[in-house]
Amino acid sequence: MQVLKGRRQPSPEVRSMLEAMVDMVPQGRVPARIFNDPEVFELEQERIFGRCWVFLAHESEIPSPGDYVLRYIANNSIIVVRDEEGKVRAHLNMCRHRGNQVCKAEMGNASHFRCSYHGWTYKNTGELIGVPYWNEVYHRRLDKAEWALVPVRVETYNGLIFGNLDPDAPSLEEYLGGFQWYLDFYLKPGPNGTEVYGTPDKWVADTDWKICAENFAGDGYHTPVAHAFGFELGYFPSSARTHFEGVAVHIPGKGHAIGLGRTPGMPPFFGFPPEVVEAMQQTLTPEQVQVFSQVRTAVCTVFPNLSILLQPFSRIPGQPGVRFVTMRLWHPIGPGRIQMWSWCIVPKDAPQWYKDESYLAYTLAFGAAGMFEQDDFENWTNLTRQVKSTLARDLVFPYEMGMDLEPDPTFPGPGVAVPPYVHETNFRNMWSTWAKYMLRD
Amino acid sequence: MGVDPAIKAEIEEFLLHEAELLDERRFEEWIELFAEDARYEAPMRVTKARDAGPDIVEESKIFSDNRETLYIRVQRLGTEFAWAEDPPSRTRHFVTNIRVQPGDKENEYRVRCNLLVYRNRGDTPDYDLLSADRQDIVRRVDGGWKIAYRRIVLDQSTVGSHNLSIFL
Repeated sequence: MQVLKGRRQPSPEVRSMLEAMVDMVPQGRVPARIFNDPEVFELEQERIFGRCWVFLAHESEIPSPGDYVLRYIANNSIIVVRDEEGKVRAHLNMCRHRGNQVCKAEMGNASHFRCSYHGWTYKNTGELIGVPYWNEVYHRRLDKAEWALVPVRVETYNGLIFGNLDPDAPSLEEYLGGFQWYLDFYLKPGPNGTEVYGTPDKWVADTDWKICAENFAGDGYHTPVAHAFGFELGYFPSSARTHFEGVAVHIPGKGHAIGLGRTPGMPPFFGFPPEVVEAMQQTLTPEQVQVFSQVRTAVCTVFPNLSILLQPFSRIPGQPGVRFVTMRLWHPIGPGRIQMWSWCIVPKDAPQWYKDESYLAYTLAFGAAGMFEQDDFENWTNLTRQVKSTLARDLVFPYEMGMDLEPDPTFPGPGVAVPPYVHETNFRNMWSTWAKYMLRD
Repeated sequence: MGVDPAIKAEIEEFLLHEAELLDERRFEEWIELFAEDARYEAPMRVTKARDAGPDIVEESKIFSDNRETLYIRVQRLGTEFAWAEDPPSRTRHFVTNIRVQPGDKENEYRVRCNLLVYRNRGDTPDYDLLSADRQDIVRRVDGGWKIAYRRIVLDQSTVGSHNLSIFL
């Protein structure tokens, strides 16, 4: 059964903009209009979020049979549930009888979901097992097997559950296309991987998801200015100058990208506790250890809208500090508007003190009240407001930073690795990939 | 055991003074109202079924500060680079339904109030309204009052602001 068809066609105006991007983006230009436009938003709902693997949940959010969380893909409410056999499933949160929401809590544990309108009842596998007055009103003719909750494809990578609305989409493995090598730095800090700390921060903001996703695809350029207070108060171990050292890597044609910032002289795996450093020697390959032991900041976007940041941070400037990892979903809910989910993930095998300290570092720096997050959202909401104006919509932005840089042929990881940390190579690949999806009928 | 009405009046006046300092952005004076061992916390809420227990997730915090990190937040606002508050938000803290109970220690009181914060930024008339159940422990120190503990429970599971660069 086809769940969603890309029926919407772009207007001639938007189509010509998208066609122009095919040549324009590799040459370092991106139309301002894509960052806040009602038609672009509507088209993205089908052509991006209807086709890509979209992040749903971390497996540790639903550890036991019956555990569920409510999430979204495009504007579809999705129940992500672990069934009684332990299998992770996803269903459209809609009764097949008249469309009522069958699950109204955003998290919980349930073996069944019962619609509060006419009482149709589904097992957490999605199977329809209860129809009130089936004998009396349907005369046993309604075929229950035909009316299960609409299933959504799910696949996982190291604890991350993704969903896809397109039955013809390639596997998650093929979709990630080698980016797993980089995700391992966040997801394999020990034999048991990671877990979420508590429940995610949630808030809404008038900003376009794409500017947030781009920022986390390796915008080290903004840090010394947007987060200048951090240098002022002594939070950053690097000066603004050495801040640019490192490498930016992207997976061509897939859109995924990561920035790996290095600080000269930083001790290997600085900020991790010894237990985790030791465990990473087991779980990561020697090539991964060689690269990641030197990394201060690892900031990435899994196309389209999942981002992860790993960063050493001390709550009190100058103290040794810890590493924290924040994973966030920039979920579009309207043109120029998003709902945020922001998780802190921690190594499952790490000592409790480290998990607690890592979470405290996260919550001071990120989340709705996080000191760094605050300034990002100030900038992103203001730019989103500006780019929808009649003059702005015809402008382009320069994306030419690092056009002449050469990839490092000795870099051991997949994809194209271009030193240093700060340039726009990742973004050109991201917006070329975006345009490719948007042009596909 | 009831609380002496004179004490209650003093504490009410203390909280209204505190709200005034916040709305006038006198953060360096505001932080002085917190005891050295103070904690400042805002747990998250989630939407759960009615029979699935409390909707507050205690381990998850929007704010989880001690006096030292709270002061860092104040220092940050004092730099030239706190973009989220430049130009500053216009806030109005409405502190109502104040109830005062004796605390666990002789010089401490548990104070609960309803908090409504109006926030407007820039040249648009748009505003955020944040409603919360605020629970404080206030302590008598040298004839004055200090906040020893503050817990802010917002009445939203999804926060309706693009950031919380203000204090509650």
